[in-house]
Amino acid sequence: MDKPVLEVRDLRIGLRADSTVELVHGVNLDIVPGERVGLVGESGSGKSLLSLSIMGLQPTAIEVRSGSIRVADHEVVGKNEKYLDKLRGLTMAMIYQDPMSSLNPVRSVGNQIVEAIRAHDVVSRVAARRAAVDLLGSVGVRDPHRTVDNYPHEFSGGMRQRVMIAMAISCEPQLLLADEPTTALDVTTQAKIIELLDDLVDQRGMSVIFVTHDIALAASFCSRIDVMREGEIVETQPTAKLLAAPRHPYTRALLAAICTFDTDPNFPLLSPVMAAGVKGGDNA
Amino acid sequence: MLVYVLKRVGSSLLLLALISILIFMALRLLPGDPTTFSLAQGDGVSPEALEKMRRDLGLDQPLLVQYWNWISGVVVGDFGFSYFSNFPVSLLIAQRLPATVTLAGAALALAIAIAVPVAVVPLWLRSVWLERITNVFVALGLATPVFVIGILLVLFFANFLNLFTGSGYAAFTDNPAAALGFLVLPAFTLSLAIAPQLVRYLQGSIRSVAAATFVRTARGKGIGWGRTVSNHIVPNALLPALTSLGITVGSLLGGSVVVEAVFAWPGLGQLVVDAVAKRDYAVIQAIVLLAAAAFVVVTLIVDLLYGVLDPRLRVSTNRARAPRFGDTTITKESSV
Amino acid sequence: MTTLKVSSRRSLLRAVYDQPSVIVALGTILFIALISAFSPLLFPNADKIDAPNRLLPPSPEHWFGTDELGRELVARMAHAGQLTLVIALGAMALSIILGVLWGMLAGSHGWIEEVLMRTADAIMAVPIILFALVFVAAFGSSPEVLIVILGILKAPLVARVTRASTMVELASDYVRGLAVVGLNKRRILFAEILPNVFPVIVAVATLNIASAIMIEAALSFIGLGVQPPLASWGTLLKIGYGLIHQAWWYALIPAIAITIVIAAFNEVGKWLERFLDRRVA
Repeated sequence: MDKPVLEVRDLRIGLRADSTVELVHGVNLDIVPGERVGLVGESGSGKSLLSLSIMGLQPTAIEVRSGSIRVADHEVVGKNEKYLDKLRGLTMAMIYQDPMSSLNPVRSVGNQIVEAIRAHDVVSRVAARRAAVDLLGSVGVRDPHRTVDNYPHEFSGGMRQRVMIAMAISCEPQLLLADEPTTALDVTTQAKIIELLDDLVDQRGMSVIFVTHDIALAASFCSRIDVMREGEIVETQPTAKLLAAPRHPYTRALLAAICTFDTDPNFPLLSPVMAAGVKGGDNA
Repeated sequence: MLVYVLKRVGSSLLLLALISILIFMALRLLPGDPTTFSLAQGDGVSPEALEKMRRDLGLDQPLLVQYWNWISGVVVGDFGFSYFSNFPVSLLIAQRLPATVTLAGAALALAIAIAVPVAVVPLWLRSVWLERITNVFVALGLATPVFVIGILLVLFFANFLNLFTGSGYAAFTDNPAAALGFLVLPAFTLSLAIAPQLVRYLQGSIRSVAAATFVRTARGKGIGWGRTVSNHIVPNALLPALTSLGITVGSLLGGSVVVEAVFAWPGLGQLVVDAVAKRDYAVIQAIVLLAAAAFVVVTLIVDLLYGVLDPRLRVSTNRARAPRFGDTTITKESSV
Repeated sequence: MTTLKVSSRRSLLRAVYDQPSVIVALGTILFIALISAFSPLLFPNADKIDAPNRLLPPSPEHWFGTDELGRELVARMAHAGQLTLVIALGAMALSIILGVLWGMLAGSHGWIEEVLMRTADAIMAVPIILFALVFVAAFGSSPEVLIVILGILKAPLVARVTRASTMVELASDYVRGLAVVGLNKRRILFAEILPNVFPVIVAVATLNIASAIMIEAALSFIGLGVQPPLASWGTLLKIGYGLIHQAWWYALIPAIAITIVIAAFNEVGKWLERFLDRRVA
């Protein structure tokens, strides 16, 4: 049995200014290498806070009160920025919801990818730039030799997200945290990004935490789904089992809320995600 | 794009025209004119001499004609003649301009050199008490009038330390070393008067940038806080702070009037103070109009520059987290 | 909206209590205001010339030392403080009256707004001390004239703030409701909008006092403000600066006084702005 890439034990997160307010109540979570876990819940469930806290990027108003987070066997809770910087990008990396505001507007995308590379790898600028071009190519950005010097606003939403993905995987992290990576994109682009992630994650053997409010989306990508509600994980099951036999009433409610176009004769068009079927059985 | 530029230039010109009218009319609202002051100095002045002077200066014409004569000259660079010295105003201005420009330029450079580190270092070191100290100094700086700064510096350096003299001037072209020596205290005074408001603008700009999501992305890459500040926060914070340049120039010009009085610096400030004492309207209106023009032109250039660079900066910073800072404080007019 | 008076007053006091610097600032202002106001009573012999004792340094007998004619500097400072504050308060009052009318007019009548606000922009484009000098050249610099000049020059700022607030209020539902009911525009403006715009104005007014003190002092310092035999802190500073080699305290004392009072008004004004910002947000 492989050592877990991520071990979260009894994690409690709350407001720094008010000790009576707790936002995450003792969460436990394990991820083994190669596993893809979907963290599904509505707004305010604490799922984003959880993933940000793993990276140590939680807002200043929020603090981790107690518990343990171990990333590749390194304890992260209570560590300072300098310590976390060694893990960020290298061991764990994150992609975010809105690619436009998540990229520095006054630096070229190539510059930002090179920056990510050179933060953890002693390479020359020339070599790093070459690697950046290759990365852009592998995420499906057209004409990478030219576009590497473009600025974020010169790309479309889907392309920007690809750039972010390229940046995140540039140092081959073991754990990829994806915080609603497709929420800001239209449905067709969403499907392409999911496809891209699917390939990349498989190729590199990364583990993924996929945070989303869309349980159908999680089902199409993840091998296991953890349902989160009001700061607690209320159910965790392999995807196929969860869909077939959800145990918690909240999970059942989430599933019931999915529009099922395939059963309604008035809507012959299926969303590509639904059509792709459900992941789980073959990826455990 | 071109339409936007033309519109902006047009509205600036209109503003300048309005300003010129206000200045011109303000001087002439009261009955009586400069002749009553100047020739009243001497005794036995005949009414004919007064009339002649009045005609020479064009003061017998209706106000609108006088204004038109003046403004049509201004547009081509002719500011008329001083009511007293019979020198063309443009010559008087040209004589004094280098001193003021040197003073203002040095002060601006020093102010930026002071303000940027003061605004950035507390953020870089993430030190709360350093930020508190900075805020106290900025508040004190904003409250201290520029002449008080000058007096304190004179007391300290000239009186107690005997390092610099409290007044004096030498042109750079004559004697660079002496010129520099005389420039130090006045320039430093003016820069200390301007720096606090620059720090405030920068702090506001930095605060909203630091809350942006791309800063979080930068941290998430593990590049280190130092690089995050220098490559991500500061570059994005400098440009919005640039929009305060117009106001800064205005403060510089206003401040230099006082600084030149404190240090007997022979610039345009001294010239205008003399002119007010003598009620030399021609000189006063020329200098004040030029000062306003400097503000309008600088603001225009910065706005246009921003419009050019704007597409790159059309970023939606994470508004939910960015505190609303700096917006209301800018309603306060900058200190003299 | 205007019925929140009781709770808003309580939260105002609470907010003051939480900020020690504001308490210090208010205390300072009160102290200086009282001393200046009662200066004829406290220092009745301010004009007593005592030539042999000229330019004495501060001591237990002469708290601030003596001036060039042997007069008690502390007495001179107290009387001069009165003039300084009177000019500043007068200027502030005028700027508020003018500015509020200006701004409300601009905010509520579309056709005249452009002209009014452009004029405001024009006035604010000129560095204030230079514009003040223009008026001084034309009208002289007696205290009354200075009040008028400073009042006019600070009015555009008040106008801007008022106009913004007025436009926000005009767009709000309760005003639209009143207009529908048939209340005429002037009544709406003065009876309903003005009280809601008022808090913001108070903050600007406080900052205007600080600004007026600074500009009057600057003008007096360069000799174009308050003229002898009248004295404000600025004129005392001017005299002191001229004597800086013989009597360094003579320049320092007015300098510190001016700075402290400006800082105090700034502190209160900024705090009011922050306090209102939080309430509105």
